[in-house]
Amino acid sequence: MKKDALRLLVIVLGLAEVVLLAHWIDDHRQDMNARFGEERLYVDGATAKRLTFAFNGIAADWYWMRSLQYVGGKIVRYEDSHNGRFNLGNLSSLDLKLLAPLLRVSTTLDPQFMAPYEYGAFILPEVNQDEAISLLNYGIAANQSSWRLYHYLGYIYWQREDYAQASDIYAAGSRLPGAPAWMAALSARMKAEGGSRDAGREMYRRLYEDSKDEAVKDMVTKQIMRLDSLDDRDVIRRLLTDYRAQSGRCASAWRDVTGALRTARLKIDSTTGAPLDPSDTPYRLIKDHRTKFEMGDVDRVLDGDLDPFIRNYLLSRRKGTLGSAAEAGDDS
Amino acid sequence: MSQLKPDASKQISRTVSDPGSDSSNSVGSNIQRTVAIARNTFREAVRDRVLYNLVLFVLLLIGGAIFLGELSAGQDAKIIADLGLSAMLLFGVFIAIFVGVGLVYKEIERRTLDAILSKPIGRGQFLLGKYLGLCLTLLVNVLIMGVGVSLALVYVRRGWDPLALKIWPAILLIYVELMIMTGVALLFSTFSSPALSALLTFFVFIIGHFSADLKTLGNSSGSAAARWLFRSLYYGLPNLSNYSMITEAAHGYIPGARVIVVSVAYAISYIVVLLAAATLVFNRRNFK
Repeated sequence: MKKDALRLLVIVLGLAEVVLLAHWIDDHRQDMNARFGEERLYVDGATAKRLTFAFNGIAADWYWMRSLQYVGGKIVRYEDSHNGRFNLGNLSSLDLKLLAPLLRVSTTLDPQFMAPYEYGAFILPEVNQDEAISLLNYGIAANQSSWRLYHYLGYIYWQREDYAQASDIYAAGSRLPGAPAWMAALSARMKAEGGSRDAGREMYRRLYEDSKDEAVKDMVTKQIMRLDSLDDRDVIRRLLTDYRAQSGRCASAWRDVTGALRTARLKIDSTTGAPLDPSDTPYRLIKDHRTKFEMGDVDRVLDGDLDPFIRNYLLSRRKGTLGSAAEAGDDS
Repeated sequence: MSQLKPDASKQISRTVSDPGSDSSNSVGSNIQRTVAIARNTFREAVRDRVLYNLVLFVLLLIGGAIFLGELSAGQDAKIIADLGLSAMLLFGVFIAIFVGVGLVYKEIERRTLDAILSKPIGRGQFLLGKYLGLCLTLLVNVLIMGVGVSLALVYVRRGWDPLALKIWPAILLIYVELMIMTGVALLFSTFSSPALSALLTFFVFIIGHFSADLKTLGNSSGSAAARWLFRSLYYGLPNLSNYSMITEAAHGYIPGARVIVVSVAYAISYIVVLLAAATLVFNRRNFK
């Protein structure tokens, strides 16, 4: 009985030691991970496909999940080092150099796997647009009847502001069997008004409806909110200009224009009377009327970051345009 | 534990002394004897806890079903199908190899073969019974795993998913591939040690999945001898890539009936050749 207790103790102590040592090794290996973590993949897609023979499907899944973990890990590290939330519109700051090879291996292992193409269409253009286009073209070659891939490729070209090419791609996709009627309509819209916010809004709406990936839906929702916010800002600017024209002075508080903002169907913060953006955050704006320069990040300016204002002031003075914006009365 | 004592020997004895049978060499008696050996091989596998791999498989599926949704951005059904079918093939191949290579060797090693062959039973019948017994073990294994994968798919979809049915043609092809691998393992076990047989069978499994490359090498090789060698290997070794439908099945693709029928016919032909070769080698062996 005593011997059994002793053995049990050895097992428990041994396990505890193993855990401590593993922890120590992990802590000391982090530097190596940082140095070598971004190295190129050891195997390309074609080699991986040969090595995995009957198991290429599960290997493709592994590379797909690795892609997600790679981007997720980068976001977490970014947030840890920048004390805050990461903005999905700022993906280029993550330096996702392994993302394209990871997605490429996943799709080479399983060319019918649609999720990496969709993910690549949304994330990869922020890193490397040519890689994103190459990935989608590979997908189209391997899945010639998939209109969705044309949809994703058209979206990349639309982001590139190559509306003619985007229109052609949507037109090609719309001719495939099973393609929805809106593909042809979107093709025509790309040709006629590719750069308009309405065209963008429709593009994002279709992407949202078609996607099953919550991260993609979230990103698309934010893009739609961004477009709505741009529309809001246009309305706010127009109303502030109208107020200045009618009263002969700039609005000193949101309360001055709350009625007009309500009439324009903008959401209003009931306590301050400030208009709310689509995420229900009050709009804030600092503007130098002499130079027309404006910034939405009020806290940064109040913290003393006046360099952009000084720079614009000096540039305007040198050009001789100082004060012309205010005189022109384009804004409050 | 002895391989066929006492159950199989008793069953075979009963079969031989069955008053209803007028001749020990009648077709019915031969079938009964083969079935007795197959049944006993199945029991032996169950007693050896071969089916315990199902516990690991089920744990894998449960873990996959619960955690993959978080990790795969909505691709959990596809990954469950890939994971389940790949594990089915991998576990099945390991069973076919590690149980298959011991089927004959253990009987020889423990001298239980003498007791069996002293009965009016042919060596070919003995091998066929052993083969069918392991195939039955694999069938039970594959069926339970297939049901597990289908249930996991229903679970991750929170309702009926057509993929739960669409994976079954691929499961059939996996089973057929396992039947071929069992035949290969049995052939090697008639003349080689278990370790070497396992190694050789595993090589056949790997090369069998590179058959398309062998054919390409055969066609593109400049040397006539190399061309002949690669073509011989291509036609001589089983082309297991015919049975790799896991990736396609995970996308809901169902192979055509003609593809399945021809693949099964190819497998049956190949298995007949393997069993005939195994019987030929086994008949020439001297166990004294």
